[in-house]
Amino acid sequence: MLRKVAIVAALSLAAFAAQAQAQTPRKGGTIRFTAPYGSSFASLDIHSTNRTQDEIWAKAIHRQLYNWDSVANKPVPELATSVTASPDGKVHTFKLRQDAYFHHGRQMTADDVIYTFTRMMSPKVAYPGSRYARGIKGALAYQKGEAKEIAGLKKIDDFTLEMTFDEKTDPGFGFMNSYLSIYPADEAEKDSFQSKPIGLGPYKFVEYVPGSRMVGERWEKFYKPGKPYADRIVIAIMGEAAARDVAFRNKEIDASVLGPAQYVAYKADAALSKNLLEVAEVFTRNMGMNPTFKPFADKRVRQAINHAIDTDLIIKRLVKDKAFRATSWLPASSPAYDDTLKPYAYDPEKAKALLKEAGYADGFEFEWTTSANESWGQPIVEAVIPMLAKVNIKVKVKPVEGTVLSEVVRKGEYQAYIWSNTTGPDPYEALKCFHSKTPQSQCNYVLYNNPAVDKLLDEANATDDQAKRIGLLKQVNKILLDDAPVWFFNYNKAVMAYQPWLHGLQANATELALQYYEDLWVDDSSPAK
Amino acid sequence: MLSYLARRLIQTIPILLAVAALIFILFSVIPGSFASSLGDDGKSVLDAETMARMNRELGLSDPIYVRFARYVGQLAQFDLGVSFRTRQPVAVVIAERLWPSAQLALASMGFAIFVGVPLGFVAALRPGSLIDTGSMVLAVSGLSLPKFWLGLLLMYLFALKLGWLPSFGYGDGGLKHLLLPAVALGVSPLALLARTTRAAVLEILDADFVRTARSKGMSETRVVRWHLARNALVIVLTTVGLQFGSVIGQAVVVEKLFSWPGLGSLLIDSVSLRDLPVVQGAILTIVMIFLVINLTVDALCAAIDPRIKYT
Amino acid sequence: MSPLIAHTDPVMDANLMNAEVPPGAEFWFGTDAQGRDIYSRVLYGARISLTVGVLSQLINTAIGVALGMSAGYWGGWWDDVVSGLTNMMLAIPSLVFALAIMAILSPGLTSLLIALGLTNWSYTCRLARASTLSLRNQGYVQAARILGYGDLRIMLTQILPNILGPIIVIGTLGMGGAVLAEAALSFLGLGIRPPFPSWGSMLSDARDQITTAPWISIFPGLAIFVTVLGLNLLGDGLRDILDPQARARTA
Repeated sequence: MLRKVAIVAALSLAAFAAQAQAQTPRKGGTIRFTAPYGSSFASLDIHSTNRTQDEIWAKAIHRQLYNWDSVANKPVPELATSVTASPDGKVHTFKLRQDAYFHHGRQMTADDVIYTFTRMMSPKVAYPGSRYARGIKGALAYQKGEAKEIAGLKKIDDFTLEMTFDEKTDPGFGFMNSYLSIYPADEAEKDSFQSKPIGLGPYKFVEYVPGSRMVGERWEKFYKPGKPYADRIVIAIMGEAAARDVAFRNKEIDASVLGPAQYVAYKADAALSKNLLEVAEVFTRNMGMNPTFKPFADKRVRQAINHAIDTDLIIKRLVKDKAFRATSWLPASSPAYDDTLKPYAYDPEKAKALLKEAGYADGFEFEWTTSANESWGQPIVEAVIPMLAKVNIKVKVKPVEGTVLSEVVRKGEYQAYIWSNTTGPDPYEALKCFHSKTPQSQCNYVLYNNPAVDKLLDEANATDDQAKRIGLLKQVNKILLDDAPVWFFNYNKAVMAYQPWLHGLQANATELALQYYEDLWVDDSSPAK
Repeated sequence: MLSYLARRLIQTIPILLAVAALIFILFSVIPGSFASSLGDDGKSVLDAETMARMNRELGLSDPIYVRFARYVGQLAQFDLGVSFRTRQPVAVVIAERLWPSAQLALASMGFAIFVGVPLGFVAALRPGSLIDTGSMVLAVSGLSLPKFWLGLLLMYLFALKLGWLPSFGYGDGGLKHLLLPAVALGVSPLALLARTTRAAVLEILDADFVRTARSKGMSETRVVRWHLARNALVIVLTTVGLQFGSVIGQAVVVEKLFSWPGLGSLLIDSVSLRDLPVVQGAILTIVMIFLVINLTVDALCAAIDPRIKYT
Repeated sequence: MSPLIAHTDPVMDANLMNAEVPPGAEFWFGTDAQGRDIYSRVLYGARISLTVGVLSQLINTAIGVALGMSAGYWGGWWDDVVSGLTNMMLAIPSLVFALAIMAILSPGLTSLLIALGLTNWSYTCRLARASTLSLRNQGYVQAARILGYGDLRIMLTQILPNILGPIIVIGTLGMGGAVLAEAALSFLGLGIRPPFPSWGSMLSDARDQITTAPWISIFPGLAIFVTVLGLNLLGDGLRDILDPQARARTA
């Protein structure tokens, strides 16, 4: 079934492409996009925030060395015309575009790239992107103040840059993140940059009304000829799903990310159902179980929980099929996804038997930390409670804010939590979270420790043979299913509703709300001027 | 009079300090941090090292008394600090929100005054009548729905069903976008004003000086117009003053719902992102606005009613 | 009383196969997204919402009266302290204050009582202080003092009964306010500890289903509306009865 969905998604994408070709994109008009993950942007300095909400505006204003290609499903060079790696995978030579101009009119050169990565490693300020820049040779020495510059960044000429890493690295997955956007070396140092960002993206910053919207206008010297199509882009900040629903139906916005409740309503509506874009995203929703809490140290108990919850029913009735049943950790859109795996069957009797074996025939009680999120939070927990009660497991709910969830999970101050975690696009990165050397504060939240898995992961990292790598990762994924460190709930299906006049949306599996705006265009039936 | 104002102004300083201390302590023990808020969507969680560095950079790894001393030191120089998330001075972050907040507060108070005061008058002129009961029920019913719910219903009705008004956003800052949030926010001061006006009018109608005026043969309308208006105005003004400040704070829910760029939504976002300097700055600003407005109201009342004395 | 008239358990009797059933013979008010009987949940929700409304307001009233009356009676530095505190509480946006307390204590009934019970006493306090000031020099209070009554006894037996009327009025109005504040906190994600229902959390959870299944929100919404409206009208009525010379005051 998952394959089928992936195919459907691919087909719908093809249909988009066909539609786009059939009609010549109109130049002009206004795109009215929405930022649905909160009621503000954190900052106009994209280097200082890694939240998806902020990436939504950054895609209009900024560009990085790499972009995510939604069709090929991999990162591809964007600001570079070519990237060549040395045989040992440590030295990468970037040939930069010579047609990229910052919004103040200056051409991008290798100096701007060097400036950006140097800023990232600032000794004074902690930037999220330092996680990926840290691997560059000499970056840490610079951060500690032991060096004046980063040794691994070498300018060959204005448009050629040589980047040396400490270890073998594939920079694409890291460098495609918006928080590694290339900044103009001159302008970014000015104070005004914090309130008037200047970048290389398709739209030039016009205004930002904090807590309400951001507006951009077409950047005429954008490096893709003829693009972007629309004159203006307005990104409305709308964290409230119910408010977004009204605005969308009232034709005040052109696109809206849907939650389960609205997904059903839109699917049932003759007009609205025609314009839904569905994508299997690389997020795995799961309940992590803390092995330091005695019952959860026993694999049988964890398996029992997977058996005791009628996951399919929850997905069907509560999540309204806006998700795919999870079979282990890697999602259907991952290259190492294993379609031969069978998920845990709903079987309360088997769950009881397992619990009895483990010595919990009379059950036990645990505290479940959850946020209020509708797809991976409180409503799901509420649906699970009666199911676990049938196998004598009592649940005490501990509701917390998202901020607190991410903190207590990383500190291990929980018995169980429910969260949505990125499980792609790179399958190795996703599975590395289960390496015993990965600290809990990093992403081994469930303190997973299995020497067999460690060995397989190390082998996968060492090999250059892609097929072998995928094979090894599939084995890890299979072991995880059996070990059940978490309750495997679902992989997200992201759904975006769009108005009939909006064209060119991309089925981005890493996050549907992140679109390359230069490919979007609106036809003249749009009510926006 | 001037010395009175000066003394009142000086009295606000300990209040501001106490507020600063209270908020500081509350938000120091609150779980979660700015660094952890950057990973709340579970997507690209910060790595542990960057997180530790960030906490050090923002001064969060120091003990609480060190941080508090530093904060008070800043305040003494009228410096609210630097926002964790935008790295701009807090004063700048707050200044951007002041005008939209003022617009919303003015509009919602305007709505409350222009509907609430007449309702209260009408109710008071025929106490106990059906009109009285009716107008009071009407005044109170808007208040009896949670604000987020009332806001949603207004959106559905006036934006989606009737198509009269836009459902969300700031637009160009004009009246069109302002109306719905202002009504949603204005219903509780409205109920209060209607009630206060009614009580005030009833009391004054019963007071000696009105009876005297009537017995002197002044016409009913002149009685109502002159004595009533002036005396009731004082009471209404006091209520408005008290409400005005709280409306800015209460706007949290309404601003979030309508994507209105005011202080309330800044405050709630900063709380959820744990941007502590902005939380503290925003609350201090709201408190200050409240104190200043009430001071102004007191001065105004004195100008209107010479019997009010200052001691 | 709820268990007697409710049909089902509000938490455990969830049947996802019966999710979002419209009101009918079997489920009078329909079912919610989890397949739980809304009628039963509204009844159980009343327990929590009304408990929050009544208890938190009692706490507020107790604090307000104790501080206000003592400040008015003793005056001096204590009066200055209380006045300062009151002004501070009036000025801080109480919802944000309550939100911070909820975030620190984590959601639940006790936290709600603390968060709403500690943040809304300033009006009561002002009123109690003002009324006490006007009574302090009345003949019968002076008489009690001459008779050698202690301060505490005078406050409790001579002053309190005479200022209680308007305070009850404010308390009644405040109960409605507390029910609404609980709903607002639920909307902001920090209300009651799920899965136990309160009207506010039911309404907040149902806001996305307003088009698909309006009954999920209508009934808890109505419950809040009727309760708050009732409390407000009761307060107004009480004011007319208890306090004919109602001075202008804010609630």
